[in-house]
Amino acid sequence: MLTMKNVSKVYQTEMVQTHALRDFDLEVKEGEFIAVTGPSGSGKTTFLNIAGMLEPFSSGQYMLDDVNVGALSDNQRADLRNQKIGFIFQGFNLIPDLNLYENVEVPLRYRGIKAAERKKRIEACLEQVGLASRAKHLPQQLSGGQQQRVAIARALAGEPRFLLADEPTGNLDSLMARQVMELLEQINRDGATIVMVTHDPELARRAPRNIQIVDGQVADLTLYQGVARQTDRAVVGG
Amino acid sequence: MLEIKPIINALRRSKVGAVLLLIQIAITTAIVSNAAFIIQDRMTYLQQDTGYPEQDIFSLSVMTYGKDRDLSQQFEEDENMLRNLPGVVDAAITNAVPLSGSGSASGMGLKPAPEPGRSVRAGYLMADDHMLNTLGVTLSEGRNFYPDDVIVTQDPNKLPKVAIATRTFADEAFPEGDGLGKMMYIGDRPFKIIGIVDKMKGPWLKDDRPDNVIIFPYIKAETYQHIIIRTEPGQRAAVMQTIEDKMLAAYDKRVITNVIAMDEDKRQYNASDTLMLRMLMVLIVVLVAITALGIFGLTLFNISKRTRQIGTRRALGARKSDIIRYFMVENTLICAGGLLLGCTAAILMGQQLLQRFSLPALEMQYVAGTALMVLVMTLLAVIFPARRAAQISPSVATRSI
Ligand SMILES: Nc1ncnc2c1ncn2[C@@H]1O[C@H](COP(=O)(O)OP(=O)(O)O)[C@@H](O)[C@H]1O
Ligand SMILES: [Mg+2]
Repeated sequence: MLTMKNVSKVYQTEMVQTHALRDFDLEVKEGEFIAVTGPSGSGKTTFLNIAGMLEPFSSGQYMLDDVNVGALSDNQRADLRNQKIGFIFQGFNLIPDLNLYENVEVPLRYRGIKAAERKKRIEACLEQVGLASRAKHLPQQLSGGQQQRVAIARALAGEPRFLLADEPTGNLDSLMARQVMELLEQINRDGATIVMVTHDPELARRAPRNIQIVDGQVADLTLYQGVARQTDRAVVGG
Repeated sequence: MLEIKPIINALRRSKVGAVLLLIQIAITTAIVSNAAFIIQDRMTYLQQDTGYPEQDIFSLSVMTYGKDRDLSQQFEEDENMLRNLPGVVDAAITNAVPLSGSGSASGMGLKPAPEPGRSVRAGYLMADDHMLNTLGVTLSEGRNFYPDDVIVTQDPNKLPKVAIATRTFADEAFPEGDGLGKMMYIGDRPFKIIGIVDKMKGPWLKDDRPDNVIIFPYIKAETYQHIIIRTEPGQRAAVMQTIEDKMLAAYDKRVITNVIAMDEDKRQYNASDTLMLRMLMVLIVVLVAITALGIFGLTLFNISKRTRQIGTRRALGARKSDIIRYFMVENTLICAGGLLLGCTAAILMGQQLLQRFSLPALEMQYVAGTALMVLVMTLLAVIFPARRAAQISPSVATRSI
């Protein structure tokens, strides 16, 4: 579903050039659940942003479902994000002035889905994350875990085949983190491909496939144990 | 895709900024539409046709203190002297100068007093048969005074028997439009309307009947008198310059004052209106500028406050045009609310002005025109900030925590 070949990303600021990704190679298959770990600043978010077409890359090739992402226009990327990708953010990113129902509705409106169909989907998604009774609440009336579940409902509403999550449990306590993880596992079982960046080795271990990014590249580690040790050390060191 | 409902909901939940802007738009609409209407009304007033070739006419006042001459005779000699001056077309002694802001008015009765009957108010001028030519107006009906219609006297019991009236006056007195030849009365003294002039303004342009004017063929020589002079085109300044000397050369026991051009006289009379006009214009410009800046600033503020939200919307599939449209729709909604309130306020304000300051009734097209202008201005003020918002990168969604 996703193939990156030699993808590089360079951030050019006044003083320095940062190579956030260098010759990054990765293939993600339909239906996978991948946990991405790695030290802080190693390029995990950059990878996720490029995978989600939130920012352009400097060189290399990125194919998403046989579409050459590098050749797309801004509008085409927006439409593709809307149709294929669901985002889950560390900070939830719910729109504070919209209630839960309206928040979940946002991507559906951009898709141009009719009101009746929207309603059906929103209710189903809120039901799935266990917040159907709170549809009229504003985000600030919910706990962090509940907010993240709404964000997941919003990501699911458009029925994306590809879910990208950047430290979705980073702002949650471990109980809530586990609930969110269970939700993601359920979604994966229902068929969505998931790439999740996490700092939590326990959660990473639960994912069928682990990738570690170090210094803008996929670390060439085959042994799962090794991955876990590296991650722990890197976190301590970074 | 228009997302009006969620925008309204979002506005309701954080309304302070929006309400302030709405009020500002309402106030601007209310004030600007009334001010624009008043400006237009005053402009029409200031630029109205008075019926006179103002640029060729001037007047002066004569204050006689010498007792050694018969005034009536002196004025007759003065008139002859003036009418023969090079560059002068005609001249006339009068009790009042049109457009000058000072003169006399009285009610002219349709029945002799004390019989009950309607009377019609008119500013009146008293002068001889040269008055029409001096003022540069022409009769549209009837005849001018004959020289022997003119009464030159000091006897208060001798009154003129004929008069020339404006069309407006004659039609008010005789709504059938057949005023020519009709009798009217000053008290119980009859006079006959022998001539009608289509357009000729009285002494006060701001009178509620500035077009009601009557000329009587009557000269009652007073120690304080006015003279009106019409010159050949382009000759006025030269004639005005030497007029005092000429008058004093004819007789020197008097003082010549107020040598003033008719258009200048009118300008001075209207000075407060001109000032008001300018102040209203400044007010409009300032108000409109403040509102535009307010919208501009509020949108910029909204955008910086909502940077992450915009990035998130982009991440969720909003195109740049969706972001621009969001802000345009949001602003148009606020503006529509403001205009609704503003138009209502404008109409109420117009009614108050009508009642309290007897201004003419506000015409709806000024409200509509102002509303349209305010709408266009809001759209212009929001377009730049909205375009900036659309440039916010979707990666903001993951980058800013
Ligand atoms: N917008 C940016 N401008 C400049 N440098 C950036 C920008 N975003 C990220 N970087 C840099 O790129 C590198 C990778 O960042 P990131 O992908 O966020 O790392 P991670 O998510 O693994 O912590 C870091 O060194 C970071 O400082
Ligand atoms: Mg990161």
